[in-house]
Amino acid sequence: MSVTPLPMHGHVHLTLRELAVACGISPTRLVHLVQLGLVEPDPEAPDHFSSAAAARLRRMLRLRADLGVNLAGAAIIVDLMERLDRLDAEFTRLRGQRWT
Amino acid sequence: MAVKFRDYYEVLGVPRTATAEEIKRAYRSLARKHHPDLQPAAERARAAERFKEINEAHDVLSDADKRAKYDALGADWKGGMDFTPPPGARRGPTVTTTDWEDVGDFSDFFASIFGERGGGTRRGGRQVPMPGADIEGELPVTLEEVLRGGQRRITLDDRSLDVTIPRGIRDGATLRLAGQGARSRNGGPPGDVYLHVRLLPHPRYRISGDDLEMDLPLWPWQAVLGADVRVDTPDGPVTLTVPAGTQTGKRLRLRGRGLPRGDKRGDLYAVARVFVPTRPSAEERAAYENLRRLATAPADRPATP
Repeated sequence: MSVTPLPMHGHVHLTLRELAVACGISPTRLVHLVQLGLVEPDPEAPDHFSSAAAARLRRMLRLRADLGVNLAGAAIIVDLMERLDRLDAEFTRLRGQRWT
Repeated sequence: MAVKFRDYYEVLGVPRTATAEEIKRAYRSLARKHHPDLQPAAERARAAERFKEINEAHDVLSDADKRAKYDALGADWKGGMDFTPPPGARRGPTVTTTDWEDVGDFSDFFASIFGERGGGTRRGGRQVPMPGADIEGELPVTLEEVLRGGQRRITLDDRSLDVTIPRGIRDGATLRLAGQGARSRNGGPPGDVYLHVRLLPHPRYRISGDDLEMDLPLWPWQAVLGADVRVDTPDGPVTLTVPAGTQTGKRLRLRGRGLPRGDKRGDLYAVARVFVPTRPSAEERAAYENLRRLATAPADRPATP
């Protein structure tokens, strides 16, 4: 049996309320996290958040639930992981350049 | 239907006699090491599989009832053996393959012993429904797709998704597909899919913010005298009027032919580059020699800009 997937309409931006729903927390709590600087609005669209912010906050919440770190610690971990991913990509790119 | 036996003690690396404290410690240490969110992007999917196993093992061994039930199967089983649950091992009606999907991330082996819902609510420990894991991936898009939007079938974790690429999306943007990630392991909502957009280079157009840039090769006489030339824009060919005295590097603007942003669009710049004929005919040579004789430029060659 073959299943034809339905087209998925993704979202690039979310409102504060949408981001709260996306991450399973209350809007009030999200406002608090924004005030603490743990979640940052999209610099290009004030009052909105990028989908990347949702991916990030969900990661932070998972790290807290699974490993018991607090959100401030989780934010640092996510920052470091993003940096590591960038360095990995850069390293792969440079290594590719060297041999071609 | 036979399922494969899972050795939960082996997964956590503890002896069958391990205390609750030892199991907790082993779990914490393995969870830290294999947590998908702590792995480099390329290894996340593989780590997620291992992390599921670890969680399943922990779910069973940290719950006194489940552990007793699991231990009652006997110590002779080895991981990977074909396993048929003893009669009465699970509660409720016969579990069919479709029902097993309800256990979320847990294995068929788990479902064959503890039933679809893991034998009811766990006592102690965290029982907040946790969303399923998110799946992250890359979405390479072409310039045409940025300009017009489009649809793309992608494969993520052996699953096929038709993704609608919104018009005007940018390199580095993230596209969220709510609820398309992994299923939850304890009745929570499914995870999301996050696609990171990577814009593929285009042979003709370069991107600079909302604007596009392309080279516009010109012959010397076109640059000196001006000309109407045909330019291929992403929206089709147009005629561009090159003003007289166009220098190499001059940017000629085609308004509103760049990348979309909301209702507006950036501009397309055609960057003039004067090329000289490499093999002039005898007449062309004569004309250039005549030009040299007549030239009124003040110095022997143009000043460095």
